[in-house]
Amino acid sequence: MLRTEQLSLAYGDKPVVDNISLAIPEGGITCLLGPNGSGKSTLLKSFAGLLPARAGKVYLDNRPVEQWDRRRLALRLAMLPQKPIVPDGIKVRDLVALGRFPHRKWWQRNLTTDDNATLNAMAMTGVSDLAERPVESLSGGQQQRVWIAMALAQETDILLLDEPTTFLDWGYQLEVLELLSTLNREHGLTVVMSLHDLNQAAQFADRIAVLADGQLDTIGSPGEVITETLINRVFRVHATVNLGRDGRPFCSGFAESAKDNPPANDHDRVHVTVQSEIS
Amino acid sequence: MTHPATTPPRSGRRWSHLPGTGPVARLLLTGGLCLVLVAVAGVQLGAVDLTWSQVWAGLTGDSSEHVQRVVFELRLPRTLTGALIGIHFALSGWLLQLLSRNPLAEAGILGISAGASLVAVIAFIIGDWMVSSADPYNNTSFALQYLPLFAMVGGLVTALAVYFLGMRHGNLSPVKMTLTGAVIAGMLHALTTGALAFWGHAHTELVAQWLAGSLYGAQWQHLRTLLPWTLIGLVGVALLIRPLDVMQLDDQHARTLGLGLNRWRAFALLIATLLAASAVGVVGPVGFVGLLIPHISRRLAGANLPVQLVLCVLLGAVLAVLADLLGRTLFTPYEVPVGVVSAILGVPFFLYLLSRQP
Repeated sequence: MLRTEQLSLAYGDKPVVDNISLAIPEGGITCLLGPNGSGKSTLLKSFAGLLPARAGKVYLDNRPVEQWDRRRLALRLAMLPQKPIVPDGIKVRDLVALGRFPHRKWWQRNLTTDDNATLNAMAMTGVSDLAERPVESLSGGQQQRVWIAMALAQETDILLLDEPTTFLDWGYQLEVLELLSTLNREHGLTVVMSLHDLNQAAQFADRIAVLADGQLDTIGSPGEVITETLINRVFRVHATVNLGRDGRPFCSGFAESAKDNPPANDHDRVHVTVQSEIS
Repeated sequence: MTHPATTPPRSGRRWSHLPGTGPVARLLLTGGLCLVLVAVAGVQLGAVDLTWSQVWAGLTGDSSEHVQRVVFELRLPRTLTGALIGIHFALSGWLLQLLSRNPLAEAGILGISAGASLVAVIAFIIGDWMVSSADPYNNTSFALQYLPLFAMVGGLVTALAVYFLGMRHGNLSPVKMTLTGAVIAGMLHALTTGALAFWGHAHTELVAQWLAGSLYGAQWQHLRTLLPWTLIGLVGVALLIRPLDVMQLDDQHARTLGLGLNRWRAFALLIATLLAASAVGVVGPVGFVGLLIPHISRRLAGANLPVQLVLCVLLGAVLAVLADLLGRTLFTPYEVPVGVVSAILGVPFFLYLLSRQP
């Protein structure tokens, strides 16, 4: 379905993504990892056909995305930006209903099928009770679920998310990731998202692609990708990687700048948390 | 999932209430009633106050020549023209605020009115120089017919310039657009004043009055010139309702929903400019209506764009007619231009709304 071939992207003269070829597995959760400025967001935007390629191509169903009609593309692929803008005073129900936009021509009004899709999306994300509340009045975690509901109302088979956990506290982060995982398992939604947290990627992803300086460093299952050498090479972190009971890797580490004089106490404390998390 | 899925209540959908009972219907009825009241007052009150029966007699042509003249040739066209320019400026501001996601956007602030004024003033001066009639009032009819067109050229050029200068990395930056607009508006104002000072001696007074945004001397002719543009604007706005809903989102987000953003944004900008510039061409730049009325409508209607739109039409007309009515009755025999009164009336109300913002 979604794949890139020798894709290079740039903002003006500044190259951001360099010669990346990868395929997104259908019905899986793919995480993009990499340091700030490694090209994760840019790559996601190009998946959605938002950036013209400098070289190479993004294909959806073997057809370059730039050849897709915008509206048809919107029926296959939904995207949630990192910091979406909440329209002034909008209620949850009306925001979620915006996801139905590509299903109607611009002169048509929403039909019952659209209302049902909206209600369904709110039920799946657990925001039905908030339907009449203004979106601004909700907590960060609730808002993020509303945005995901809007993307689900779009009824696409692919969902792209740009750092969906960045502005949330830990509990909400896990809630959002668990929601995406459920949607993936129960509805076969293909999820592609960029994340910052290696452990969360290891916990939820089927496939991880690591970017470094705009190039694809490694791609594979969490067990193949999250290794001490990779973390050291890409993130400049000295890490200890353990395998959890579910066979997924779990890591902790300290920054390279602390190499000569590691903060022993902090390091120990991290290990204690790791232990309690695994056993 | 942490929350169990429940069946939400079916109430609260747009337009789901019985006609005349819901809060939306009440809002629109109140707005409509206000418009009727100020329109009646606009015809009734003035230098000579008339009674209801006199107004009715004047409208049906069953009265003295004097009353008929006052009602039919002076006050009625003036009130209706006032209502139309209120609608023009309010809808223009509403579109500009939505398309740029900027609550400060308005034809005056973005320089569109200033561009329209400059070209209209230049056209007026050149027309006057070419015809060079001894009596300037004889060729105002010639000028009036074409002034909206000239004003639109000026408005469109300015709007395009502000729009493209407001882009950053291929996306519209609301802050950059507002700043650019304010700077360009200042420059165009200076040029207009300059043009007037150098070449406009003969009619400085007439043009200065026009530049303050005045309904003084508005006749049926003004209404006829304006009405086609009102209709074009209303049709355009109706076509834009659904795309505008999505335009409130982040640019790239809107694109991933399948919106041809550049095309629709250009169309919205075109309609907003046509509305504002045609009104400027007829009565001169009237500020604040375009800023205040969309805000008030949004506050009253919430995020429901169709209701916001209807409220903009009703309240825009109310504010302009009311401002003109006060402007010509409070200090008779002197007239305060409608633009000045709408600012004096609207700004305190606006500040009050802002202070109540949660």
